[in-house]
Amino acid sequence: MLQRPKARLFGTGIQSYFTFLRFLMVLNLLTFLLTSSLVLLPLAWLHSPEPGPALNTSYHCPTSREPQPDLSRIHLHLWDVFTGRALSNTYLFYGSYRMGPESDSQYSVRLAYLLSPLTCLLLCFCGTVRRMVKGLLHKRLLSRDYRPRLSSKVFVSWDFCIRSREAATIKQHSISNEFKIELQEEQRTLQMQQQTRKQRARQLLSYVGLNMIIGLLVVGGISAIYWATKFSQNYKDESLSLLLQYMSPGVISLVNNLGPLLFGFLVQLENYPPNTEINLTLFWCVVLKLSSLGMFLFSLRQQAVLCSGRSDHSSCEPHGYNQCDQCWENSVGQELYKLSIFDFFLMLAFAFLITLPRRLLVDHLSGQFWVWLGREEFLVPKNVLDIVAGQTITWMGLFYCPLLPLLTSIFIFFTFYVKKYTLLRNCRPSPRLFQASSATFFFQLVLLLGLLVASVPLLYVISSIPSSVNCGLFSNYSAPWQVVPEAMALRLSPSAQKVFYYFGSNTFWYPILILLSLTLTVCLSQSGANKRAIKGLRRQLLWQVREKWHLVEDLSRLLQESGGSDSWGPESPSSRSSRPRSFCPGFPCPGSPRSRSFMDPGK
Amino acid sequence: MGSSTSHLSKELLTEYQELTFLTKQEILLAHKRFSDLLPQESRNMEDSLRVRVSTEQILTLPELKANPFRERICRVFSTAPERDSLSFEDFLDLFSVFSDAATPEIKSHYAFRIFDFDDDGTLNKEDLKQLVNCLTGEGQDTQLSTTEMKQLIENILEESDIDRDGTINLSEFQHVISRSPDFTSSFKIVL
Repeated sequence: MLQRPKARLFGTGIQSYFTFLRFLMVLNLLTFLLTSSLVLLPLAWLHSPEPGPALNTSYHCPTSREPQPDLSRIHLHLWDVFTGRALSNTYLFYGSYRMGPESDSQYSVRLAYLLSPLTCLLLCFCGTVRRMVKGLLHKRLLSRDYRPRLSSKVFVSWDFCIRSREAATIKQHSISNEFKIELQEEQRTLQMQQQTRKQRARQLLSYVGLNMIIGLLVVGGISAIYWATKFSQNYKDESLSLLLQYMSPGVISLVNNLGPLLFGFLVQLENYPPNTEINLTLFWCVVLKLSSLGMFLFSLRQQAVLCSGRSDHSSCEPHGYNQCDQCWENSVGQELYKLSIFDFFLMLAFAFLITLPRRLLVDHLSGQFWVWLGREEFLVPKNVLDIVAGQTITWMGLFYCPLLPLLTSIFIFFTFYVKKYTLLRNCRPSPRLFQASSATFFFQLVLLLGLLVASVPLLYVISSIPSSVNCGLFSNYSAPWQVVPEAMALRLSPSAQKVFYYFGSNTFWYPILILLSLTLTVCLSQSGANKRAIKGLRRQLLWQVREKWHLVEDLSRLLQESGGSDSWGPESPSSRSSRPRSFCPGFPCPGSPRSRSFMDPGK
Repeated sequence: MGSSTSHLSKELLTEYQELTFLTKQEILLAHKRFSDLLPQESRNMEDSLRVRVSTEQILTLPELKANPFRERICRVFSTAPERDSLSFEDFLDLFSVFSDAATPEIKSHYAFRIFDFDDDGTLNKEDLKQLVNCLTGEGQDTQLSTTEMKQLIENILEESDIDRDGTINLSEFQHVISRSPDFTSSFKIVL
């Protein structure tokens, strides 16, 4: 179905980007399958009530002022689909799931609804960590001794699949650039080591100062998001104008697009080695992206939580939150849904309204400006961050909008083909190569961070925040997690319950923690011992080779003395002469019959 | 093309499949491509297995045309005394080593031989210099300056030459390659 693009022009790092897209699509489909099989199918099987907001059963609430939306008349107005209003009574959102009391049915839909996001997150965590560990051996954090940087670049970087002259030239340019950058960096490091203490202090100070400025910018961007969300939530129901509905996603995208440009500009003002520049910019971009999503969710929840769970709902009236009519989970779900849609359409807009015209203009117009502008570069880190942000939004919305993974996988499917088209037709390769192995590790790491940013709020909501009284499955509980003790009390025997309580108590986890710390200590000390052993073995190897050549020299000297003819023995490397052809240590000599056994596949 | 040219006999095909890493379809495709390089009169079965194709002709293949190591590849896989022509079996060997199924050990072994420009069994400074020049190309702006080249080669030797004899032998080369997971995917030529 999804083929890897033949993007040899652009390097294996970009191929790993498309592999990563495919991995995420499969992940989302599996999540959707899990949710639907655990929650939707049993709901349909048990002939539960039609999806829709529950009737007013609480005696706190007067009869509602607004008429309930007619279930049979679905709004086909396109606008309502985009804001999620038309779908708010379907299974897409939390609010429309309904179920009788727990004691009625065999199968606890509530338990399934609660546990399926948690299970999905746990499975995604395990899958991502496993993929990360596979690449752990080769990651860049290894010390110099075990990571032959330049040698591996020299021996491995040529891609033998390249067929066109043009691709070969581009590859040669990028390899040459990479060598030059690495050599420059090494010169720079040597220079820095020779600096005086005063210069070093000044360098450090400017580094810290730069980071603080960028940190302040990030904080500023995030507060802008907070205020924008608060503003748009306040006027949420009043008008349907485009600007207000999509204000928060718009501000988030603005911050996330301007931020990296600013960071890159600021970092370039200081004269850092190229690798440091790139790593610093990348680090702050990741921080900005994930914290903007976190702040968005936080401000949404603040609005919602402040107004629900309070007995005097009069204070919420000005904000448009009427406790009896509103379903705050639905509104959070709708916001995340809008953000998802907005991201996808923004990606389409960038691809077709900016990159494509740029390529057309650059190709057909001549002039200094257009030559300087050139086609757009396909920046792998930026694209990966966008995808990971989209996935984080999906994970955040698992509880409020259970069918969001299906939507996300459809979006990723289209994103794959749009990106492939953009890459092959409208972009040029970046002069900086992105190696596949380090790329995979970086993708998995950022994905893991996104998972963390998504899980923490979810766990907090599930365990502590009371749900709305008016909608959804958990309306009668103080927190969604309370379903679990109740379900256990209903369905399990007392002894089984005791076992589960034991697993949740401190007396179980403290010994486990102590055991884990012991294991960690043992592993660390083993790895330290291994490093020392490797050092020792290398020294031994050196001495043995020197001894060997020493013996050979002695031998040739003795033979010379006894034989009297001029020396025919080999010279040791220390005498700097070329080795004669008859001695090829450790290698089948050329001219010897080519043995078939080399081609024997593993016999 | 007569009936004797189109297909290799079954026994021969099975034998080649056992001796190389190629599948039957790949062997047949390689045979077809090899026959296309032969002159018209030698395209029958017996001659195609016997006749040698000169290096210049092999270098016209689109898979090798843009490769800076193409001459070295032809030289390494050639079994002729002058090392300037390839028979069909040499041709099969070439694509077998460069195929997907070949083990990393075989690939690194042959990569070492390809990079060993003076064929003395080790990679000394001259070999490394020529290697880097192949990688960076012929252009003025891409070639490294003398100081950069010297620095680069010293760095390579510092990192890879474990026994400090000034050259990189096969084991040291394979040690470096084993640390790079990208090697098997880049050391590949598919027909």
